[in-house]
Amino acid sequence: MSTYISGGCKNGKSLWAQRIAKACGQPLYYVATMLPHDGEDEARIRRHRAERAGWGFITIERGRDILGALEGADPSGAFLLDSVTALLANEMFDGNGVRLDAPAKVADELTEFIRRAPSAVLVSDYIFSDAALYDALTEAYRRGLARIDRHLAAACDNVLEASAGLLTVHKGALPL
Amino acid sequence: MILIIGGSFQGKLDFAKARFGLTEGDVFICDEGTSALDTSRKGVAYIEKWALNRVQAGADPMEALPALREDAVVIATDISSGVVPIDPVLRLWREACGRINAHLAARSDEVWRLFCGLPQRLK
Repeated sequence: MSTYISGGCKNGKSLWAQRIAKACGQPLYYVATMLPHDGEDEARIRRHRAERAGWGFITIERGRDILGALEGADPSGAFLLDSVTALLANEMFDGNGVRLDAPAKVADELTEFIRRAPSAVLVSDYIFSDAALYDALTEAYRRGLARIDRHLAAACDNVLEASAGLLTVHKGALPL
Repeated sequence: MILIIGGSFQGKLDFAKARFGLTEGDVFICDEGTSALDTSRKGVAYIEKWALNRVQAGADPMEALPALREDAVVIATDISSGVVPIDPVLRLWREACGRINAHLAARSDEVWRLFCGLPQRLK
């Protein structure tokens, strides 16, 4: 039972994802995709760790080549991957220029990820409804994230949108 | 009339074609250079880009909005959920698009919202 969850910033995606993952099975893995770049990122990671404390997650840190997160893990367990957004940023902007093929790579690898580990909960970010005119690179990133979102929404059993801590079910059901 | 809204890249045009049988030739695709809508065609996509063109020309898109076909399928990207833009032209654009969407939705028989390629019927 795979679940895709997106929505705006601070709308409750991660907390819902934690509840769903915990209900999906054991062992319970947290796949952290953020690669910290500065003190602000490190503080965010510390805050997320504190929020997860006591939930029983085994943390796997994996910022690129996401299938590597499954090495040594029990694929019958529950995997919470947070977030698709950070994973794409890491793959697309890897310090050696821009990889425009990153969205296709991430979409393919995440599809394979949920095939191998079916009890997966994937968290993405909805960044598609503002009135800004972005540069071509930012537009390529937004288009790429939307491509992954649509690809994985088609592949996952459940698709949920978090708004103000509440959920809209766009596909399947709330698996709780 | 049918209105399809949703954020950028959510699958609005693909949905319009699949659900309402529109072909490429049925749809007028607006871009930043679109100063006038082609209302002879059934599909009108990305009406917000036409609205931006009008705002940049100093016009009010709500006043400039032409009568659309009764069987029109209109696609509008929802740009309403970001920070208020610093650029005054973008502020006018954002507000005009909100008004246009509400105006069209009130006159539409069906209103759909696309999220990650998935349609949700709002009306």
